[in-house]
Amino acid sequence: MSPETLLTCIVFLPAVWAIPLVLFDAKAKEAMRYWGVLGTALTFALTLQLLMQFDSNKSGMQFKFDTPWIANWNVFFSLGVDGISLPLVVLTGFVCLLSMLASWSIEKNFKGYLMLFLILETGMMGVFLSLDFFLFYVFWEVMLLPMYFLIGIWGGPRREYAAIKFFLYTLAGSVLMLIAMLMFYFNSDRSFDLLELARIAGGTSAGKSHVYGMSMQVAAFIMLFIGFAIKLPSFPFHTWLPDAHVEAPTPISMILAGVLLKMGGYGIIRIAFPLCPYGAQYAAYFLAALGVFSIIYGAFAAMAQTDFKRLVAYSSVSHMGYVLLGIAVWKIVDGKTVGREYWEMGLNAAMFQMIAHGISSTGMFFMVGVLYDRVHHRDINKFGGIAQLMPHYAGLAAVIFFAGLGLPGLCGFVGEVFSVLACWNFSPLLAIVAASGVILTAGYILWTMQRVYLGPEYKGPHPEALVEMNSRELAIGYTLVATAILFGVLPHLLFDPMHGSIQALTQSLASSYETLYGAIHTSQLP
Amino acid sequence: MGDVGLNAYLMVGAVLFVCGVVCMATKRNGIGVLMGVELVLNGANVNFVAFSRYTSLGLDGQTIALFVIVLAAAEAAVALAIALNFYNNHLTIDVDRGNELQG
Amino acid sequence: MANGSLTHTFSDGIMPETGDILMFLLTVAWLLPLAGFVVEVYWLCFSHRLNKGAAYVAVACIGIGFLCSLTALLYWGNATKWAALSEPEHHAHSASHDAGHAEAGHGEAGHEHEAHAVDADEHSHSPPPAPAKKYFSGTYYELARFSGLRVSLDWYIDSLTLVMFTMVTFIATCIHIFAIGYMHDELTEEYEDHEVHLHNGGHFSRPGRFHRFFAYLSLFSFSMLGIVLSGNIFQVFIFWELVGLSSYLLIGFYIERKSASTAANKAFIMNRVGDFGFLIGMMILWTSFGTFQFGDRTEGDHTQAGLFTMVRGQDGKLDVSEDGKEVYLQDAYGHRAERNGKPLSISYMLLVAAGLGVFAGSIGKSAQFPLQTWLPDAMEGPTPVSALVHSATMVAAGVYLAARFYPVFTPEVLLGIAYIGCITLFIAATIALVVTDIKRVLAYSTISQLGYMMLAIGVAGWGAALFHLVTHAFFKSLMFLCSGSVIAGCHHVQDMSRMGGLRHKMKITAYTMLVGVIAIAGLAIPGTSIGLSGFYSKDAIVASALAYSELNPGHILLFIAPLVTAGITSFYMFRLWFLTFAGTPRDAHVYEHCHENPSVMTTPLLVLAVLAAGCAWGGEGGPLYRLIADSELVPATARVASTGAAKVILPSHQGHESDVHHVHSTAGMLALISAIIGMTLAYLLYVKKTIDPNQIRQQFSGVYDFLVDKWRFDSLYDAMFVAPVHIVSAWCVSFDKGVLDPILHSAASLTVLTSKWDRAFDETFVDGLVNLVGTVTYNVGNSLKVIQTGRLRQYVMWIAVGVIVLFGALFTTIPK
Repeated sequence: MSPETLLTCIVFLPAVWAIPLVLFDAKAKEAMRYWGVLGTALTFALTLQLLMQFDSNKSGMQFKFDTPWIANWNVFFSLGVDGISLPLVVLTGFVCLLSMLASWSIEKNFKGYLMLFLILETGMMGVFLSLDFFLFYVFWEVMLLPMYFLIGIWGGPRREYAAIKFFLYTLAGSVLMLIAMLMFYFNSDRSFDLLELARIAGGTSAGKSHVYGMSMQVAAFIMLFIGFAIKLPSFPFHTWLPDAHVEAPTPISMILAGVLLKMGGYGIIRIAFPLCPYGAQYAAYFLAALGVFSIIYGAFAAMAQTDFKRLVAYSSVSHMGYVLLGIAVWKIVDGKTVGREYWEMGLNAAMFQMIAHGISSTGMFFMVGVLYDRVHHRDINKFGGIAQLMPHYAGLAAVIFFAGLGLPGLCGFVGEVFSVLACWNFSPLLAIVAASGVILTAGYILWTMQRVYLGPEYKGPHPEALVEMNSRELAIGYTLVATAILFGVLPHLLFDPMHGSIQALTQSLASSYETLYGAIHTSQLP
Repeated sequence: MGDVGLNAYLMVGAVLFVCGVVCMATKRNGIGVLMGVELVLNGANVNFVAFSRYTSLGLDGQTIALFVIVLAAAEAAVALAIALNFYNNHLTIDVDRGNELQG
Repeated sequence: MANGSLTHTFSDGIMPETGDILMFLLTVAWLLPLAGFVVEVYWLCFSHRLNKGAAYVAVACIGIGFLCSLTALLYWGNATKWAALSEPEHHAHSASHDAGHAEAGHGEAGHEHEAHAVDADEHSHSPPPAPAKKYFSGTYYELARFSGLRVSLDWYIDSLTLVMFTMVTFIATCIHIFAIGYMHDELTEEYEDHEVHLHNGGHFSRPGRFHRFFAYLSLFSFSMLGIVLSGNIFQVFIFWELVGLSSYLLIGFYIERKSASTAANKAFIMNRVGDFGFLIGMMILWTSFGTFQFGDRTEGDHTQAGLFTMVRGQDGKLDVSEDGKEVYLQDAYGHRAERNGKPLSISYMLLVAAGLGVFAGSIGKSAQFPLQTWLPDAMEGPTPVSALVHSATMVAAGVYLAARFYPVFTPEVLLGIAYIGCITLFIAATIALVVTDIKRVLAYSTISQLGYMMLAIGVAGWGAALFHLVTHAFFKSLMFLCSGSVIAGCHHVQDMSRMGGLRHKMKITAYTMLVGVIAIAGLAIPGTSIGLSGFYSKDAIVASALAYSELNPGHILLFIAPLVTAGITSFYMFRLWFLTFAGTPRDAHVYEHCHENPSVMTTPLLVLAVLAAGCAWGGEGGPLYRLIADSELVPATARVASTGAAKVILPSHQGHESDVHHVHSTAGMLALISAIIGMTLAYLLYVKKTIDPNQIRQQFSGVYDFLVDKWRFDSLYDAMFVAPVHIVSAWCVSFDKGVLDPILHSAASLTVLTSKWDRAFDETFVDGLVNLVGTVTYNVGNSLKVIQTGRLRQYVMWIAVGVIVLFGALFTTIPK
């Protein structure tokens, strides 16, 4: 399959797959479920095909193609993949397939659910693959609406509140992003091309000698960062997350934690940093400090929760803090990047942490969902003794939770520890505070496991419903556990494709900053 | 035949007109009102003809006077029909009794 | 430089086959338990719950592992012609010589002599020739590579690795076999747990978990061997956490008991506190050195120095700058390392911090002060676990790490280690005096002995520490297994005050236990130097401490504390033995039902007893000590005076003018006297009953309560850490609920308010204007309708009047 077709198919197959659903009888839920599983499985297979065709020795964009879309405004339908987006694309396919498999318990208006689900997948794929800012923005919004309805219709008792909160937060972010986008558009002779914009920012664009001004870079970076930090989510923009997670149905929680949060990190790496190197460096310490604060804050907040899902949601806040920390450890002394390989390590770690969190938190939400499907409550203090009643389930859940705890040999460890290790070069103080997160994380996860899984007997309602996982659930659980172990033991499987792109990114950013710094000091810039 | 001049005609026309108007304003009988209308029209006719004769309008005044006469005939026919209808409805032709158009 | 080729030959690149074979054997020994773990976890897929097969699989895995390790040790010895066992004065030289023969073939040997000669000339210190590389190292696979940085899974094999492997696999095998008997009652479909009370008052019963126990044990063996085999500090950290996990699973084996799961959590979290420090240490090393590797690594024709070479160079000395603030790093060729023409260096304080950080990991794992409180609670696990994990191997891993990392420690760090060890050994020993739970006595004794080892490392008694580590592993695992045997024999009674006189019923247990007690007490035949293993190793430690405090009179406490504690140790260990096995039964019921255990449990006891008695045969001239000391990377042949913040002098303990050797007999005598006093006291109190222990208890009730409360550490930590964490987390939640959400909500309500106002504006103002026009028009019309009378004549009047008015207006306004 030609790369262009492949990329286009990955983006649009899910949405196209949703169209024939119109013909299904509303009562044929089983058939629709299999149809949905088939669609997501096909998409996942396509992403794997992309992975096979991808050449991990190259560092730039691969399979890039442009088709004029709105020619008057210089908007292109432009897709491409590199080492930064590839893992996320595959992760999206993977998580969507698993969440589709976990959607068996959805009963209400399944047809609509399925359609929105598939459109959501298209939106997410589009965000990760598009290389045109305008297109990126469009896909960003495309993904927002289905999510709103998925939470608002199929959610829990406070679903309207949660859905609106989610929607408003994200919308506020995208408005800021829109402003920044237009800033770049009008400062770059009307281009939406992300690569071209990055080249201009780095002063390496052919025929365009000017770079963006300092104040513009700072302003644009702040707007972009807030837009992406809401999605990440980072303190203090995180409060939509617990509510959205608690109210969303299990599969949607899985997607929300597994994929949607990664868009924030991806946006920072793909857009905010390359487009405003000066702004990024200007705010780097603040970013890292915010990341560290999120780590600690999320862990503390998680410890005080009694709602199982809310706890996992706060653990996401904590874990995504490592992503922000890893991205931001860019140390500059006198315009020169110091210890670039440590920053490269941090970025790699951030990417790894995104994937690892995609696996572990998807798994955690799934594990919570398995319990919720049976007993219909999530109060941690009313569980206990699950390991006696459902030993197989408890074993798998323990592995997943330990992956979240950052146990070596499981995926959560590598990202966390590498981003912390990379941080010392940037700021020893932040590194120490971030490292103290390992204690808190162990604290809240072990305490939760003790209250939920250990102990002699189950204390809540519906004890008779606690039966061992069925084969569909086991398949999901084992897939997640196997991936967690695979990436924990062989992290280079994930680092290899990312390595070249991230190395190139850090090098070009370092040299962009140096150029800009030189320009500032010879007063060529205001 | 001595020429009496335009003013005399205009005086006659004015008298006729005023008589007609007074007749319209004072007569409660519908037929009387109609007769007042006729007087007004004829007063106007006198003016037309007089202006036509004493100014350089040619025969325009006479022509319009003829139109007015025809119009008056038509008007009389219609008005009489209205009067009959009025009588049918009110059993009288006292126009003061017909105040349905009061706002 | 010739050293380059030397490194190339010995440590990496085209591996000489000796290294390959050792690596292969140890890797097999390391990975077999992992395979066993997988099989045992899914045991119920192959077989039923009542089958003992899982245990056999576990024993087979670890047993084969032991055979592999032993083969590796013998093979290594053979390849080096047992040079390590010869006299220490020559061994550094001859070992390298022989190793050169063995690994590099004939051609290299002469070349190597030249290398030494050159080195000796260059550094003009006549006695220490550059120590040859005494290790093999290599890489399994790379975990990640970031431009110049790389993180990998490596292996590092020297005599210490081999000794540890053999010791760990051997003890593990014994304990696995013992556990088959001990965990026998798990072989059931209905295991009733009398310690767990349900809400409805009934007893808790569950299916037995025999296979799961062995699965966890195998996982532990795998992780523990991983630590020993690790070739870099990051890998140590990985397996460090994994032993933590196994320990968590094993302590919490009885998951239905709240106390067990709490103890498991406590163990894991306290270890994580230590790991926090470990992580900081790793960050410093990683950022300053850019590598985690212990040994040098050759890639192509370039040799990258490992951590040890970087810090210590070829001669084992720190290269400190004039002002004492910087330490220059060395490359693999015996020069100062350079990058971009500038010499690479690390600030001295950072190096101290890195050392303390890594040692913090050891504090957590080895239950040293101030993180010692988890180990006694860890006794909630089944007794074989206590024997394997919490006495012989995992907790000793902290000491192993500190010893392995010795080259990176500066004298300041060593002083810190010494004091931590000193405090720990005293605190733990005093608590052990008053504990009546048989396992907890042993637990506190373990902490205390680990303190001894740390102290030894701190006073530069590197070999003594590891010597004690090995002997302690044997006698302490023996004693734990004996206590397990007692517990199993007495049907899960652990309180010593309900025992007594058991030696009549459990002969093997009682006398093997006595061997262990004598060994740990360090008793010997006075006048000779013939004793059990503990005597030699403790002697070595006390001698090092004495030598250290003679050179540094300010630190005399480092000698007095272990000396006094030797007496305390002897007292509480004999107290344990007397209370349990001697005298008359205190609880008739327990005594009635007590019985000796089957041979599957007693055979390991006998085997371990033999080794506990004899493993240290020959003392510091014996094979075990020599083997261990062969791995020492920092030559201790001369005194080292620290130039840093703490002015200390490290004693020499090798060579002709060894400081330690001078004081050895004095120290041994004092320690022996102390131990004999302790034993005698115990005999008088608990056998002869000359003095009533209860009276003493009442006399010193304040001290007694303080000790029973374990120096009140638990409540202190509760108040200092646990409670504040809960408070802060409550704050965080209320910050979300009370500040962030309200901000959002008020923003939302502000928007709603604005739109309400907007609506009101629309409705009143804009709409009002439109309506006003309508209303006015209507009203005007309404008021005008009055003149619309419908009277024909009136209308005519109006017309007339109107005409007149119009004309009037016309005539008045139009100018003539």
